[in-house]
Amino acid sequence: MPPKISSDWLGACAGCHMSLLDIDERLIEIAEAADIRATPITDLKRPDPEGVEVGILSGAVNLSTHVEVAKRMRERAKILVALGDCAVFGGVIAQRNLCGTLAALRRAYLEAESNDESAQIPEHPDLGVPEDVRALHEVVPVDVFVPGCPPHADVIFYVLNELAHGRMPEIKDENLHWE
Amino acid sequence: MPTITIDGQLLEVPSGITVLRAAEMHGIAIPKLCDFEHLTPYGGCRLCVVEVQGSRMLQTSCTIPVTEGMEVRTDTPKVREARRLVLGMLFGERNHFCMYCQVSGGDCDLQNAALTEQMDHWPMQPPWNPYLVDASHPYFVLDNNRCILCRRCVRACDELVGNRTWGMASRGADTLLTADNGLPWGESSCIKCGTCVEVCPTGALIERHSAYQGLSAQTEAAPSLCVGCSVGCGLTLRVRDNRLVRIQSRWEAPVNHGLLCEEGRLRPFYETRQRLDTPLVRRDGALQAATWKEAWERIAQELRVSAEKTAALISTRLPAENLAAFTRLFREGLRSPMVACLEEGYPTHPALERSLTPQRRAALEDLRAADCVLVLGADLVNRHPVAGFFLKRNLPEKTRLILCGTPETPLGEKADVLLPCTGAETLSTLRALSKGVRSEADSGDTALSEAAALLQSASAPIVVIGRGFTGGANEASIAALLRLAENFGAKILLLYGKANSRAALAYGLQQRFEPAGMEAVFVLLGDDDPGGSLPERLRNVPFLAIQAAWRSELTAQADVVLPAPLWTEQGGHYLNLEGRLQEARAALRPPEGIHTPLETLQRLALLLGIPLSLEWQTALEGVDGGRWTVDRRLTTDD
Repeated sequence: MPPKISSDWLGACAGCHMSLLDIDERLIEIAEAADIRATPITDLKRPDPEGVEVGILSGAVNLSTHVEVAKRMRERAKILVALGDCAVFGGVIAQRNLCGTLAALRRAYLEAESNDESAQIPEHPDLGVPEDVRALHEVVPVDVFVPGCPPHADVIFYVLNELAHGRMPEIKDENLHWE
Repeated sequence: MPTITIDGQLLEVPSGITVLRAAEMHGIAIPKLCDFEHLTPYGGCRLCVVEVQGSRMLQTSCTIPVTEGMEVRTDTPKVREARRLVLGMLFGERNHFCMYCQVSGGDCDLQNAALTEQMDHWPMQPPWNPYLVDASHPYFVLDNNRCILCRRCVRACDELVGNRTWGMASRGADTLLTADNGLPWGESSCIKCGTCVEVCPTGALIERHSAYQGLSAQTEAAPSLCVGCSVGCGLTLRVRDNRLVRIQSRWEAPVNHGLLCEEGRLRPFYETRQRLDTPLVRRDGALQAATWKEAWERIAQELRVSAEKTAALISTRLPAENLAAFTRLFREGLRSPMVACLEEGYPTHPALERSLTPQRRAALEDLRAADCVLVLGADLVNRHPVAGFFLKRNLPEKTRLILCGTPETPLGEKADVLLPCTGAETLSTLRALSKGVRSEADSGDTALSEAAALLQSASAPIVVIGRGFTGGANEASIAALLRLAENFGAKILLLYGKANSRAALAYGLQQRFEPAGMEAVFVLLGDDDPGGSLPERLRNVPFLAIQAAWRSELTAQADVVLPAPLWTEQGGHYLNLEGRLQEARAALRPPEGIHTPLETLQRLALLLGIPLSLEWQTALEGVDGGRWTVDRRLTTDD
């Protein structure tokens, strides 16, 4: 049985998943070696309840709903991968911790020069409640850290290929980048 | 020489050095952040810890001296664990966002250390406290969020530059790098030399102009020379796609040992003058674009007629090769009586150069090591800043300063003794001083007897002589100065103007320029600034030709204008104030269609039928008693 791989994003810009798509035709190799399940770019939206071998999360935890997504992935995945700087340490999004979440929301949704009088901070049950930005490993235990903003496509392929073949990737030397 | 063991290797090392230096000398890499080769050890970051047999605790290798039989291990599990803890705490302490930092990707010592330790995440998350970003400086930005408190900048500003602008405020996690104890950097005493930025191991101190313009890995390093003054500082030009991106310290440069001033490191990036890109010839009263052939022929045609009624003026920013050929073409070829350089003379220097014995002649190394310095008619701070650093950094503990001037004179407030030295006072001051220590009652002058006492008690005194030493070639003052030097065993350092000022003296170009009665004037300006009075003085010259890099009031009034390369685009030799001959190589290609001054001189010689030798070395031989040879260290990219 090929290993099941599922992914999701938290507070992210989607750049890490874009970089994942940048592995180009090697995506087919991964799809042949592994069973790609729920991802933001496939039809399934949640990891299988009966579990997956590999769960991949990009983005930082910055909404109450992200905590639920992170915990569900952790519970269902044998190996949890933090993909990209936001998941690894908070990333660009964590800058809002320097001014506070409310100040950041006000600046973006109310005070930005491009807003008009109808501007309001969005509220919806699906969004949950905004929180201070946390790295994934502050919320659930992480098995593999893949830093980078975004991680290079070659690094992502290395990680997926190792996991697809039942090996633990080692992020070091030529596969370790912080920029 | 003690013998020590590092990681099982038996090494013989010089005594008195630290374990870190010993390891580096033998190619054993120990990660470090606060340590910097040219600064005193600090032991602050603790990244360089090692195991020393017999020590219960890990030791900072940057501060512990080598001892006979010492056994050191740099790569044990305990050491690696300590390193990772240090790095984890450094990243966890402030706010490091590598993804958009200017130095990320190879130029950050902190990131490089983390990558070497294979850190894929931070063991401790930051508390996300915001720190002050100071963007008040015209050239630089300070981001305390990226500061690791290593104090390299503080030490560099103090120990190397002697400006002491930087300091630390508060304690613990609140510690902040601060200029003048709380001023915005841009309003502080900072002299904009950029040494702190150069030594910063992170992106806490960055240059505005070079940010995101190319990391070291994306640029080429071209060793070169600053032509701003006669100190002749070595530097490294970082070039990307034939564009100058950054000027960096060249720590192995023999003259300045890595130090640069605002002029050398930053001014070229803030050039506001407009570049000349095509020859111009005056037709119907207006300067119009022309071909090089037309422009050269027009000049030759005029010079053929003006002949010995031609005056010629050259910049001392140009290489010796240019100065020599220029002098020969105009003085020997055209028999012009008025061939000079823009500086128009150092009245006292020819006589002093002739009189100085090798024992009395000072080099910049002597200024660095002097315990008493007498400055006469020189403004080291503004005219020769790096030489000024060598003096300032030793004040007040290591060096006593006797300055001719007032408290308002640069360095006046730092002087131990101020002496009156205007006009005739210089002579009487020198005569009184040269007689040595006398009692106050005897001389009736406290300052003079204090100065004499300082000189008397110094073991390595030197006298720095600038252009303003006397009003003119005053033989009595020169004699008194030489006697003073003899009496106190002092060496004499003569300061000159721009890069090839001293070579200009050797070629006989340091003389007053008087264009009255001349029918044609040729100015080889290069990338120099013609200065304030020259346009007015050349206003009534019947024919003015000029080769210059930049448009100016002077080029606007010329009859023929030839574009010139910049100092970075033209190689050649320079004789610094010590008499050290250094070679610079062109690092950039000039814009398309710009010919060098040497090509112009050769072409004019050809058109005038004057044989022109390009020999330039003979006149420079022996100016320094054969002490220096051409410094090849500057010409190789080691």
